[in-house]
Amino acid sequence: MSKTEIVEGYTPNFEGWVQEFHEWQTRIGFDPAWLGDYRFEIRFDWISAGESIEFGDFEGMPKWSRRMQIPQQNIRDAIITMISVQGDTEFASVEQQNHLLATAPTEYDRKSALRIMCEEQRHGWQMAYLLCTYFGEQGVREAAKLLERNAQDGTRLLGSFNAPIDHWLDFFCFTHFIDRDGKYQLKMLSTSSFQPLAASMGPMLKEESFHLGTGANGLRRIVKAGVIPTSFLQKYVNKWVSTGLDLFGTDESTSAQWAYVYGVKGRYDERESNNDADRDHLNEASRGLYFDEIKAEMARISKGRPEGDPELYIPSDKFNRGIGKYSGKLYTVTGEDFEGTEEEYAEYLASVLPSDEDERKLVEEYMAPGVEWIQYREWKG
Amino acid sequence: MQTHALLNVNRDLLSPFFERVPELFDKYHNDPESNPELYEELLYKIHRPMTIEMLDMIDDWMGLEHRRLNKDQDLMLRLFLLAIRYPDTLLLESLDDVIIEDVRRISAYLHFTSHTYTIWDQDTRKGLKLLGFDIPDTERADPFIYGAYVGTIELIKDLAPFTCFLEHDVPRQRLFQAAIAQFGREA
Repeated sequence: MSKTEIVEGYTPNFEGWVQEFHEWQTRIGFDPAWLGDYRFEIRFDWISAGESIEFGDFEGMPKWSRRMQIPQQNIRDAIITMISVQGDTEFASVEQQNHLLATAPTEYDRKSALRIMCEEQRHGWQMAYLLCTYFGEQGVREAAKLLERNAQDGTRLLGSFNAPIDHWLDFFCFTHFIDRDGKYQLKMLSTSSFQPLAASMGPMLKEESFHLGTGANGLRRIVKAGVIPTSFLQKYVNKWVSTGLDLFGTDESTSAQWAYVYGVKGRYDERESNNDADRDHLNEASRGLYFDEIKAEMARISKGRPEGDPELYIPSDKFNRGIGKYSGKLYTVTGEDFEGTEEEYAEYLASVLPSDEDERKLVEEYMAPGVEWIQYREWKG
Repeated sequence: MQTHALLNVNRDLLSPFFERVPELFDKYHNDPESNPELYEELLYKIHRPMTIEMLDMIDDWMGLEHRRLNKDQDLMLRLFLLAIRYPDTLLLESLDDVIIEDVRRISAYLHFTSHTYTIWDQDTRKGLKLLGFDIPDTERADPFIYGAYVGTIELIKDLAPFTCFLEHDVPRQRLFQAAIAQFGREA
C-alpha cells in the first residue's frame, strides 16, 4: 500500500533551478497559462521503494538515502547518470510535442496531450530535485544541463528524443512505443538501491500509464475511423518500433551489468521473477519483454480495422536497428536477410518507411481540416 | 475528511487486494457477460449534448429496461448530467423521485458522462465490505451513501501502488470498481 509524500520545502539549489526552469518554458514556447491549476510537486512513495537493497552485490543492506551512504564514487556517478538520462527525456518530449497543441483533432486530445506535457515536466522536476538535493555541486551542474540541451537542436542524450514529432500520428506512435519504453525504464529504477530514486518511481509510473494509454487509444481510434489505411499506418509502426527497441541499450551491456551489481537498476520484473538475473544479457531480457508486449498491443489495436484492410503488425526486432548485433545489417521487416545491394536496400526502406510524399499525403489529405481521421472522444475529467 | 478516511484504513485488508488488482479487473471486466467491447464503445459514443438514444445505449449495456420518463423528467435528467461536477453528489437531490429511486441506473449514466463517478453494484459493495468499508445498501441514489461509495473507491485508488495501474485502457475508476467487484464476487 502506498501513500504519496508531497515535499513542502525546497533547498536553495533547487529553488535556483526552478528559476531556470521558468526561463526554459519561455524559451521553448510553452505558455505557463496552459497549466491551469496544475502544480508541479515533488512526490515520493517510500513504502513501494522498500528498505533493503534487493539485488546485486549489496543485496540485503539498507538502501542508501543520502549521497554519503553510497559506498563508492563510481556508484554515485552511475546514479547521477541514470537520473540525468531520465530527466533529459522528460524535458525533451515536451520540446518535441508542445507545438502540436494548436492542431489537436479534438478537445479530448488537446487536453490529454497537455496533461502528458504537464506530467513530463513534473517528472523532469523530480529528477532535477534529486540531482540538486542529493548530489551537491555535481548534481546542480547536471540539473542545469537538463534545461540546456534541446531536442530541436538535436542535443538531447537519446536519439528518439531528438526526432521531430511533426503531426499527431507521430505523437500517438511516440506515446505508445516510446512512453511504453519509459514505463520499462521507470519500473527498472523502482527497485533501485538509491532510495529517493526508487521512491520517485511509484508516482511517476502511475502518471506514465496514462501517457501510454493515450498512445494506444489514439492508434486504436485512428484504425477505427478507417480514413488512414492500415497499409499506410504500418509504415509509421515500422518507423517507431526500431527506435523503441534501440532505447533499451546495447546487447551484452557492461554498464547495465554494473548498474545491476550496484543495485541501482534492476530487471523489469525484478520483484516478480523467481530466476537469477542473466547479468550478461540484461538489456536483451527487458527488450524481449517489451517486444512481446507491443506485439500483443498491436493485435488489439488492429482488431478495429475496416474489413479488407491488412492487419497491423510489429516488424522484426532485426529490422532497421541502430544499435546491437543487428545494427548495420540488411533485414526485411519480417526479419529475413535482404537479398540485394545497399542501393536496393535503400529503395526497399523507402517503400516500408514513411517517405516525404507519405508525410505530405498524411497531413494534406488524410488529416486535412474537416476529415474525421480519428474517432471522436469527449474529455470527461 | 481525508484524514478521517486515512485513519480508518485497514492496511492488512487492502494489501492482498492491491496485489491482485490487474488480475481481478481482467476477470470481471473481460467476462463476456460484462460485454467489455460495448463498454469500451460507450466511452466514445456517450458525449455532449447527451441524447435520449445515448442513455438508452447505457440502459442496454446495464441490462435495464429503458426509462419510462415524461418529457420534463428526461430534460431534467439530461440537464443534471450536464451540470454535475465531480466530487459533487448533492446535486442528486435536485432530481425527481422517479429518477433518484434507481441508483444503479443513475450511477451508470454518471459514469459514462463523467468518468470519475463509479457504477453502483452489489458485488462492488460486497468487495468494499471485505476491504473494511461498509457502505449501506440502498436502491435510492442517496447523495451521502453514493458519495461515500464513490469517495471510498477514489481513496482506494489513491492508496494503490503503481503496479495496479500498469495495464489497462479504461478509466481508473472502472479499473478499481471492477477489481473490487470481482473481489466481492469471489467471497
